[in-house]
Amino acid sequence: MSRLLTKHLVVPVANEEDARETAQVLDCYEYGQITVVHVIEKGEGVPDKLPLEQAEQRASDAFGAFRGFIPEIETATVYRRDVVAAIIEVAVDVDASAIAFHPRGGNRFIKFISGDKTLKLITNVDRPVITLPEEAENE
Amino acid sequence: MSETEQELARDLGFLEAYTIGLGTMIGAGIFVLPSIAAEQAGPASMISFFGGGLVSLLAALSLSELATGMPKAGGSYYYVNRALGPFFGSIVGWGMWAGLTFASAFYMIGFGQYLLPGLGQYISFLAGWGQIGITAAALVMAAVLTAVNYYGVKETGALQNVIVLSLVGLILAFLALGIFGGPALGEFNPNGWPAVAATIGTVYVSFIGFEVIATSAEEIKNPSRNLPLAMIAAVVTPTLMYVGVMFVSTGTLSIDALSASQIPVADVATEFMGAIGGLVMIAGAVLATVSSANASILSAARVNFAMGRDRILVNWLNEVHERFRTPYRAITVTGIITLVLIAVGVGVGTLAEVASFMYLVTYALVHVAVVVLRRANPDAYDPSFKIPTGLYPLVPIVGFAACLAILVQMNVLVQVIGTGIVVFGVLWYFWFARDRAPSTSLVGEAIAPEPTAMADGEGRYRVVVPVANPETERDLLRMAAASAYAHEDQHAEVIAVNVIEVPRQTSLSQDLTFEEERVERQQELLESARDIATDLDIGLQTRAIVGRDAGSVILDVIEEENAEHVLLGWQGTRSRREHVLGSTIDPVIGRAPCDATLVKLGPEGGRGEGDVMVLAGEGPHAPVAARRAAEFVAASDEASLMLLNVQSSESESDEGLSPTERGEAVIAELVERAEIEYMSYDAKVAVAADTEQAIIEAVQEYDTVCVGATRSGTISQAVFGSLPEKIGAEVPQTVVMARGPEESPMSVREALMQRLEV
Repeated sequence: MSRLLTKHLVVPVANEEDARETAQVLDCYEYGQITVVHVIEKGEGVPDKLPLEQAEQRASDAFGAFRGFIPEIETATVYRRDVVAAIIEVAVDVDASAIAFHPRGGNRFIKFISGDKTLKLITNVDRPVITLPEEAENE
Repeated sequence: MSETEQELARDLGFLEAYTIGLGTMIGAGIFVLPSIAAEQAGPASMISFFGGGLVSLLAALSLSELATGMPKAGGSYYYVNRALGPFFGSIVGWGMWAGLTFASAFYMIGFGQYLLPGLGQYISFLAGWGQIGITAAALVMAAVLTAVNYYGVKETGALQNVIVLSLVGLILAFLALGIFGGPALGEFNPNGWPAVAATIGTVYVSFIGFEVIATSAEEIKNPSRNLPLAMIAAVVTPTLMYVGVMFVSTGTLSIDALSASQIPVADVATEFMGAIGGLVMIAGAVLATVSSANASILSAARVNFAMGRDRILVNWLNEVHERFRTPYRAITVTGIITLVLIAVGVGVGTLAEVASFMYLVTYALVHVAVVVLRRANPDAYDPSFKIPTGLYPLVPIVGFAACLAILVQMNVLVQVIGTGIVVFGVLWYFWFARDRAPSTSLVGEAIAPEPTAMADGEGRYRVVVPVANPETERDLLRMAAASAYAHEDQHAEVIAVNVIEVPRQTSLSQDLTFEEERVERQQELLESARDIATDLDIGLQTRAIVGRDAGSVILDVIEEENAEHVLLGWQGTRSRREHVLGSTIDPVIGRAPCDATLVKLGPEGGRGEGDVMVLAGEGPHAPVAARRAAEFVAASDEASLMLLNVQSSESESDEGLSPTERGEAVIAELVERAEIEYMSYDAKVAVAADTEQAIIEAVQEYDTVCVGATRSGTISQAVFGSLPEKIGAEVPQTVVMARGPEESPMSVREALMQRLEV
């Protein structure tokens, strides 16, 4: 049985600006349901680098920015150490048809020390991953 | 599915909280201080460590109650600011920050001492660098730790546990072997009890670690149980260890040898375990000092964040790094100050003592905060751990006195530096924080408790503010915030809305670049709304909406958010065409099912502030206007409230009252209807032949004029009534027109729905 690739997208956003860019690009295409995910990185047994309150504020700012373009969205804030695993988990939970994301730049060094999330996301996943283009297409 | 279960926001259990506290406590304190303490008080310094432990235990009890009552980031700072207001908040915030940076510098010099002269005994390359080498090593390590926190390299709880457990194991082995070696104490108290008391001040820095547990309170699982347990355990364990280490150290080495040592614990260990023992202790000390300093830098950033949230500090410092998701500026600034303190070379003892001093000041105020909060008993304070009944006023009172007693005993240089930091906090309050930080002090309520207004159970009093103009945005948000403040007990929140109107014939994608510009402007507008909200310390939600018609979008938002109040700005001119006040204003004011306020802004300095006047009439909405005025006055520092009633000199009174008496009666009745008896206000009755003209002339003397709607009903010719609108259009000052929800007309949609349902 086949189903529409964009029926229910899980869209991870890292911060307000990323949410804005992602939503802007996504809005140029057709999509069904959208669940926007923000992952708050937890330390697991050590205090987080960001106070919880500040991290949650960032999540809600990101969702707000996304809604500026696409108001009808579901949102999910998850608390995990492993960002990519958390995104995939949400996709499984909501039974998403695909994960759509806007890759974020970064030089080799940063990719090296932060672990390249883009690569991890497209290699460790059990459903389609859609990479959105860098900039919104002009029609 | 992944194997690990979904993580919750709170992921620190008892063991994690305990090891975090312990990891900071078993730091430089136990490895560096024995030489300084022994020099000051001989073997009796054991008593000093024990005394420090007792003082900390009292603070831990008070802090536990506060932290379970309000588990918020910032620890002691947050509780003191909440209970005693921003004046003491500023002192404690700066004090804690200073304390943590001094402590970090102290830990790092401890690190340098163990690394260079310590390891230098075994590795010739490291030997012979002297004090310069120690300072250089301390600087390098402090910079490395700052970088680690800046880049947010992930540590794991497992690593933390391994470090702490190895340290505990090391010290237990040290104690066991040391006691086995048969320590022989010399003269127990060579310098007398005052020296023992003064030494508490010196060693107190070892006890500031449990504060880390409080600054992470919001991450602790089941805080009512885990937080007090972890805090008390994190005080008791190291206290016993410190006493033991002092016993073994002073019993094994002579006081002279001990006080001359830069690596006391390692030297003692060498004495009874040989070179291997010394080396192991050096490795432990290096680990311990690094882990303590790391925790302090992180804690300092938390204090910065909490201060920024309360408007005591610029929020600039708290910006989160795009990629690393760390409060990189706060971390960098803390790191730089630590580096400066190391480089200045005030001496390892002084660094420790200043840190102790700042924390003793903090804990003294924490004890006061407990008493104030218990007496004021605000809604938001519901501690699940309370200081046990028999101990209640005793713990904070004795704790407060003990902190002060130690402060008085301390070294004069330390007192001068410490007092300087406190004075800096005070000056900072007057220079920066006083005008920005809202006073949250509960001291008044603590002295004269009275029942606080009840929230409606649902919580959240929401004020919707449509913003469109960056120039007026700030004042509108401030005025909405005033209304929100008045309902603070209901967790008030302001919702800033901006609507991008898209004409029916165009779609979003049609003119993308044009839309992009507008969206950008919208985002800028809402972003600055957020900045303003942080400035004003109000809860703010922003809604960026693209819609066909701004008026109906705003009405939808009001309905969706179940708002209690909507506040709009107005240019002050009546539209000539089909709309009365404006195409957006009319439907919102006409139909909003909640309090509605229209504000025409006057000149700067008089926008909902200055001399605020309410037109005290008998109209149905005059009480709403009076309430708005009272809110503005309450939220502004230098505002006065005047109730003005204008009586016609011509009309006859049926009860034989003079016009002035009639006016006074109207004012008195209004105060009662508006429930603003608590405010101090002036009242004035003017008598004139032409009341309308008299009103317009009279209101010009004030900065802000509040007037209630004089009519209700559909929006045919006027939304607020002709007089309020005339005042709004003709008076140059700020004019606030208000109406309540009761008489608001049914919305067209509601009416249609009802029709359709029949």
